[in-house]
Amino acid sequence: MDGEDRDVFARSLRHAVETHSGEPLDAALLDLGWPDALAEHTHEAVSILFELEGSAHASSSALDQVLACSLGLEAPLSAGFVLPPLGRWCPPGELDSGSLVIRGLGSASLLARETAVVVTQAVNTEVAFLVPTPELILRPVRGMDPELGLVEVSGTVAKGALRPEVVSPSWPAAVAVAQLAMGHELVGAARTMLELARRHALERVQFGQPISGFQAVRHRLAETLVAIESADAVLSAAWEDGSPTSASVAKALAGRGARTAARHCQQVLAGIGFTTEHEFHLYARRVLVLDELFGSSRSLTRELGAELLAARRLPPFAPL
Amino acid sequence: MEIDEFRRSLDDWLDQHEHVLAADHAGTDTLDDQMAQLAKVKRLTYEAGFMRWGWPERVGGLGGSTLLRAYLGETLTSRGLVEPGIYSLTEVLAPTMIDYASPELAATMVPRLLRGDETWCQGFSEPGTGSNLASLSCRATRTGDGWSVTGQKVWTSLAQYADRCVLLTRTGGADSAHRGITALFIDMHSPGIVVRPIETMHGAPEFSEVFFDGVVVPFDRTLGEEGQGWSVAMDLLPYERSTALWHRAAYLQERLQGLLQAAPPGELDPADVGEVAQLLYALRTRSRSTQRRLAAGERLGPETSIDKVLVATAEQALFDLVADGLAASVDLGDDPASERWRREFLYSRAATIYGGTAEIQRNIIARRLLDLGTDR
Repeated sequence: MDGEDRDVFARSLRHAVETHSGEPLDAALLDLGWPDALAEHTHEAVSILFELEGSAHASSSALDQVLACSLGLEAPLSAGFVLPPLGRWCPPGELDSGSLVIRGLGSASLLARETAVVVTQAVNTEVAFLVPTPELILRPVRGMDPELGLVEVSGTVAKGALRPEVVSPSWPAAVAVAQLAMGHELVGAARTMLELARRHALERVQFGQPISGFQAVRHRLAETLVAIESADAVLSAAWEDGSPTSASVAKALAGRGARTAARHCQQVLAGIGFTTEHEFHLYARRVLVLDELFGSSRSLTRELGAELLAARRLPPFAPL
Repeated sequence: MEIDEFRRSLDDWLDQHEHVLAADHAGTDTLDDQMAQLAKVKRLTYEAGFMRWGWPERVGGLGGSTLLRAYLGETLTSRGLVEPGIYSLTEVLAPTMIDYASPELAATMVPRLLRGDETWCQGFSEPGTGSNLASLSCRATRTGDGWSVTGQKVWTSLAQYADRCVLLTRTGGADSAHRGITALFIDMHSPGIVVRPIETMHGAPEFSEVFFDGVVVPFDRTLGEEGQGWSVAMDLLPYERSTALWHRAAYLQERLQGLLQAAPPGELDPADVGEVAQLLYALRTRSRSTQRRLAAGERLGPETSIDKVLVATAEQALFDLVADGLAASVDLGDDPASERWRREFLYSRAATIYGGTAEIQRNIIARRLLDLGTDR
């Protein structure tokens, strides 16, 4: 996608994301040809859309499409997609003596689907089962972020009736793209939090001057920008090298960075940021939950450390 | 010369000349050893041509992208052939000469620095002038023979080894702030200069106090115009936060690798190891995009303060991990490897102080990148 096409594409997505959320946003994305762009220009389609969703506090079922596309399933996906359980990136399905045991999450659109794709760990590979949704227990989640529209999915389905489909390329490759998507959404949300706090700091006057003049405030905001830019740098590098390790580092830094942003920006916004009269709380809620999707910053960091300790060597990364 | 071709031929050459390039001294190296090693490596890489790539032809270079320089420093550092801090001074001082010295002076002097014939230093800080650089007071006065310089500098890295110094002086009135500063290129062997090395907590007298008493400097050694010293300093700092920092990132990666191999099983918490690796990953990718902007001819500015915050944070986190994982070595060991870990841990404490403190970097980010106005 060249510069001009990219700008036009980004502008139309921005308009869609700023005016719709949920199902209407799904419909708008379909109209804009986003699923086609996803197949042809995965990097641009994912990075632009998810950063915009993050900054505008919009939600959609685009993540389902991202996974389906990465796994080589039919696109656009007419079935729903079961995501990994909270905090983890393992496949949501597990085979247990003739049954398929399912534990995971889904987007709100899953409630309206007749079937759902459940990726399942098999011997040395992953297979996808198409499970009729009436066989699943679907609990719409309110929780920390009611507007995200998550659904908790569980169930045990007799395997006999289901036909497995081998997925290719592998689940880890699909997880990597999903982690990048989540990383961009976290960065988008963190950038909005920073902008809200920055504007507040410039407008709020105490001791006869805007609080933006106080070093304690300035340094919190500077720290926030550093956290955002370091996540952003690794996200770009991860697209470039395509490795699952880079994607997981990017997701972890974006998750931790967004939590850092929430902490500093909430402190700068002080009283008003604690109320529902201000939009800050929406973003604080969102990043807390997004950090837990496809591996939390905490678990990804620990996994990386354990791998490095076992290998006793650093993989080469980011050559000039 | 493209980066891939350069990488291949340099790596081959380094493999073939491993024994000639290796340090001559055994055991714990002193700063004298490191300086001797640096001069040797610079000479050999200059003679083989590698040190000249990425520098303009008018100063003895062979042209080509600045990425070539970045890779040379990266690989010399990762192979443990040079200490990155002293190696990278070239990256800070040579561009200043190229941008601000007269073409004849730059053409004469820069090759000497690249070839390792000479050591240069950077005279910025003073006893009363740390973070507030614009308050400096080392004075240069016009006389019939040239500038006469009188005053004092401090924290001048490698001054005791230096043949030349890029010196910031006050040529305007006492209250002329950043407008009344002029940069001079001084001969460190001139009469009237006294250098007193300072013993540091990490055990190497890396920097010195420098006293100037009526030191005569010819007018043609002025860098830029009279009163333009602030621009010279401001243009130099992004170099300190780009290529020099890329080399440092390579060094930190190599040390994390060393830690993974040296730490006794069970001593390192996986969560801490993972976090340090992520910080290095972020530093490396951020610094790489800065390298690419530099190579594309972009002018670097305040955004490099983010790179500087990342390197300082990563360096301290890494050596905090070293102090935990190798506690017996760092606290009790008297063998060369322990001495080195201890020295590096102690030196890492300065990462948030030198080259603009962590606080100054955050002030720059707040004012220039977040547009929060001044803090006074």
